[in-house]
Amino acid sequence: MKKKSFGFYLRIYGKILAQDLKSKMSYRADFIISTIGMIFTNLAGFISFWILFRNFPSIHGWGYYEMLFLYGFSLVALTPVQCLFDNNWSLRMYVYSGDFIKYCFRPINLFFYFQSEVFDIKGLGQLAFGIGTLAYSWNKLGLAFTPLMLLKLIVFLITASLVMIAMQNAAAATCFWIQNSFYVLDLVTRFKDYAKYPITIFSPVFRFLFTFIMPIAFIAYYPSLVILRPDEIPLLSWLSPLIGVIFFYLSYKFWMFGAMKYSGTGS
Amino acid sequence: MSVKKYLTLTRAGIIESLQFRLGTLVIIAGNLLYLIVIYFLWKAIYASAGCDVVNGMTFSDTLIYLVLATALFNFMEMYVVWEMGRNIQSGKIVLDLLKPMEYRRYMFWTYSGSFVTQFFFTFLPTFLAVALVTKGAVPLGINLLYFVISVVMAVSINYSIDFFVGTICLYTESIWGINIMKQVIVMLFSGATIPLAFFPDALKTVAMAMPFQSIYNAPLSLLLEANPTPEMLLHTLGLQLFWVLAMLLISRLFWKISLRQITVNGG
Repeated sequence: MKKKSFGFYLRIYGKILAQDLKSKMSYRADFIISTIGMIFTNLAGFISFWILFRNFPSIHGWGYYEMLFLYGFSLVALTPVQCLFDNNWSLRMYVYSGDFIKYCFRPINLFFYFQSEVFDIKGLGQLAFGIGTLAYSWNKLGLAFTPLMLLKLIVFLITASLVMIAMQNAAAATCFWIQNSFYVLDLVTRFKDYAKYPITIFSPVFRFLFTFIMPIAFIAYYPSLVILRPDEIPLLSWLSPLIGVIFFYLSYKFWMFGAMKYSGTGS
Repeated sequence: MSVKKYLTLTRAGIIESLQFRLGTLVIIAGNLLYLIVIYFLWKAIYASAGCDVVNGMTFSDTLIYLVLATALFNFMEMYVVWEMGRNIQSGKIVLDLLKPMEYRRYMFWTYSGSFVTQFFFTFLPTFLAVALVTKGAVPLGINLLYFVISVVMAVSINYSIDFFVGTICLYTESIWGINIMKQVIVMLFSGATIPLAFFPDALKTVAMAMPFQSIYNAPLSLLLEANPTPEMLLHTLGLQLFWVLAMLLISRLFWKISLRQITVNGG
């Protein structure tokens, strides 16, 4: 297969996206209700956060606004996986029914084509909510707002989202081997909710587990340290962009490995 | 009317749910990880609070409450909304409506099998583990009886709410949005994510006025109270009974009215 240019993929993505949005818009009621549902989810998350901190002003030396920062950071970092990689949730259905074979016959990257097919607009509400939370806590913490800070924020947000995308890819790809991969995907998704707590609350064993095996600590904690506590940045924080890319690459390889192994259902 | 036909459905449900052993294993593993996370989280929270009792709850009280809330959730969540929504979209609901059993009952008894397996495979092990780990913080006495009565009513309320929400799908044809809204509201206001004791007064009043607290908060507070006063007992169970009847009535009525609405694609 000839290598296609980046611009080519970008153009294709635009085309597929437009089709997807059109088909979404034809179920307008569903779209509106889903968006409201997403807002509800974020609101409820925020309310439970608020209730917790009314009772306990700090957790392990992390104050209210710092925790709020982590929370907002994780919300923003989780947006790409929600918006761009939502088709992972349907992967097991395609594989099970045999429809997955249709993706294998296109002259473009299989992974790219599969993921580009669905764009989940609901995630944009979460993005807005996350940015609002981030800006509010940023302001309250009195952090400086310089172009360099902004650049740091964006770089670390992107790498944080790569980690989450990687986790979801890997979880979704398990469906090439096991039947009921929904539970694996559901498990990983449930864990992202815990990304917003500082990893220091865990015992060393679990700190290791959540850093290297199930890397939720890279979704908010390590990257946020670069901005929140510039005096005591651990090495892992600086390494997190690299780690994000590595995890993403590995998950991509794993996903493709499963897809290449796929032999269809024979119908 | 014989019970036999219902028990046949229960048996079929048990056999069906035993088919997915791997799924059950993943659920158990996921729950274990989840329990570890909340253990450390609340431990850190209590350590930072500087006192042992917050809002009348000690660390082990809170832990038992939250752990068992999760266990109860796994036991009670039947994904009825999903099933109804799918059946409405695919049109399969017509076949179920033709069955010589009322749809509401049919759905309940079909799922009753998973109650049995979930009870033995998730709830009971979790309960025993918690009772052992917290070394007798769970009082073992007459409160267990109240707890069981309370759980039975909670199951009924939960099912009525699910059925009500599932009926809404007849109108909206949106499953995800409706379901996520329900789940978020139930989880927050039932005290399953944060015990109601931590809620600020105004919010607590609101939560107590809603039916959701009868699903998780009521049975769990009865379980944790070794010597409940007759008033508390009467109040909690009475309120539950009220919601059982009210929700039963509302969900049946709503279903009856909505059934006229049904449109199913032919073919």
